[in-house]
Amino acid sequence: MAQATLARARPGAGGPPSGAPPKRRRRAGWLLLLAPVVVFDVLLFLTPLGKLIGSSFTGGAYARVLADPLVTRSLVNTLSIALTSTAVTVVLGYVIALVLWRSGTVMRVILFAVVLLPFWTGILVKNFAWAVLLQDNGLVNGFLHNIGLINAPLPLLHNRFAVIVGMVHCLLPYAVFPIFSSLAAIDGRLALAARSLGAREAAVFRRITLPLSAPGISAAGLLVFIISTGFFITPVVMGGPGDMMIANEIDYYARQLTDFPGAAALAVILTVLVSIIAAVYQRVLKAGGQHETL
Amino acid sequence: MSTPTIAPTARQPGTATARKGAIELRQVRKTYGEVVAVDRLDLSIQPGEFVTLLGPSGSGKTTTMMMVAGFEEHTSGSVMIDGAPVDSLPPRERNLGVVFQNYALFPHMSARENVEFALRMRRVPKAESRRRADDALDRVGLAGLGGRKPRQLSGGQQQRVALARALVFNPAALLLDEPMAALDKRLREHMQEEIKALQKSLGISVLFVTHDQDEAMAMSDRIVVMKDGRIVQSGPPEEVYNHPVTDWVASFLGDTNLIPATVISREGGEAVVDLGGLGAGRVRDRGARGDKYAVSIRPEHLTFRVAPGRENSGTGELVSSTNLGATIRHRIMAGGRELQLRELSSNGGAAGQPAGATVHVGWDADKAQLLVLEG
Repeated sequence: MAQATLARARPGAGGPPSGAPPKRRRRAGWLLLLAPVVVFDVLLFLTPLGKLIGSSFTGGAYARVLADPLVTRSLVNTLSIALTSTAVTVVLGYVIALVLWRSGTVMRVILFAVVLLPFWTGILVKNFAWAVLLQDNGLVNGFLHNIGLINAPLPLLHNRFAVIVGMVHCLLPYAVFPIFSSLAAIDGRLALAARSLGAREAAVFRRITLPLSAPGISAAGLLVFIISTGFFITPVVMGGPGDMMIANEIDYYARQLTDFPGAAALAVILTVLVSIIAAVYQRVLKAGGQHETL
Repeated sequence: MSTPTIAPTARQPGTATARKGAIELRQVRKTYGEVVAVDRLDLSIQPGEFVTLLGPSGSGKTTTMMMVAGFEEHTSGSVMIDGAPVDSLPPRERNLGVVFQNYALFPHMSARENVEFALRMRRVPKAESRRRADDALDRVGLAGLGGRKPRQLSGGQQQRVALARALVFNPAALLLDEPMAALDKRLREHMQEEIKALQKSLGISVLFVTHDQDEAMAMSDRIVVMKDGRIVQSGPPEEVYNHPVTDWVASFLGDTNLIPATVISREGGEAVVDLGGLGAGRVRDRGARGDKYAVSIRPEHLTFRVAPGRENSGTGELVSSTNLGATIRHRIMAGGRELQLRELSSNGGAAGQPAGATVHVGWDADKAQLLVLEG
């Protein structure tokens, strides 16, 4: 048996002179199809990335940026803002996904449109719209003042709260869709079975729906976190001086200080940091939630 | 509201469930907009009775079961369990064990956790619920497999888990929705016997939903044949099979020869009919009334005769004989109609006759049934 397979394997591996050309030509054809992507990737992604990493190691850039207190501050900001907005986004996204999942066809279409609309709107537009709503004489403060709840405007803009509001709004679709798709994959009869076995709605949710949608939650969490670490416009438009994130710092190094190796070093630090967090997150999930993955 | 069923473990068969599990439907009706899914249905299941709702898809059988379980709200009428109306009770308070078509096992829980679920919902202490779950798994032949996840179990084992899960909390009755549909034929027959034996030993009433007439015949105390949201016929399996009230029931439950008949007289459970080309007949009459009549004779009730008879018989030409293994199917043209005759291969019988031979056939009066031709 082993010999037979060996004998049969040989022509494919070594290739008799007569059979080789067409096979090799077909292979070459496949490689040719890959060429545009490879060229595109090498030219526009790998080369700049390599140059960036290379330049980050010139002139003691790492020592310089890590000694900058503004850098450490913005790194801490990035992590804390990203984690907070991820948590808020996933919770809100879960609620929206749950409502979407439970609603009828017409309602579902309307809600999907509402969720997708910010997805299609530019981030600048969304952030300025929020600025209009949240500023001192904006809609929210105006309304609260008119109904007599407040005398002086609440500080709703140019602070951490505003940054998180703006980011959550942008990030929501990234949480809603993975969670919704994992909810939609749950067999509707499981809830019926649970109810027939004596479960109230709360128990059905806690013991059936929530654990079975956990893969969606963890996927949403990772996706939203990675995206949220790269926010640049929102801290500028809606944050205060103390809410600058790492992307703003990179911008500062590149444009104000024209310290390109420093900017490159910051970019590498961010990438490595996010990769480590993502890897740990997935390792923890794999260990803790083995039964969730079907 | 959930009554903690602590006292009797499900171990003692029959005792705790002696006079429990009567289900009654009174004039139950279910409409979806204009569509009538179930129309003024009356049905009563005695404690310990195995009742099957049999019908094609769209006949309202599953809807009926869903209304009993409480998953569907009926438009009008009333559902009672053990004499008390349950119309306003949610499923969790009806105390019914439900087995779904694809079992609906919780995929993220082990077999034992699945079975324990109902006990946990009833706040049964951990140690006791674990013991009872293991007992239930033991009873369905899955001892030692409690730690497996549903996906690690075969189809038959999954069904056993579903059964254990539905029985572990001593429900008033068991509702089974086409539970064997996903199993292969051999396993299906095995599970039919097992479920039937389990039901008997527990003395629990069962409402069973299926479109498979063999399954209905094999398991039921009573078959309720449904069509278009109504009950067409209800009775013990042999009665429904041997004495269908309409041609539709006769052909839904197995093969039959339907011979249009003109009623000459009917009296004392017997009717004298004119069967056209087949001459006079004397058949069973259960009083069905309609515009047009036919006589139904099952292929296995038609037999070869050595000579022509005066009634309940015919003479014709053997068209074909097909050996089906255990039985032989003969087609005979007699009196202008093609008749099917089925006999055991071991009989030999007319098997030797070549196609084209002249043969005589006949049937016993009590094996032929006068029924209504539905249009």
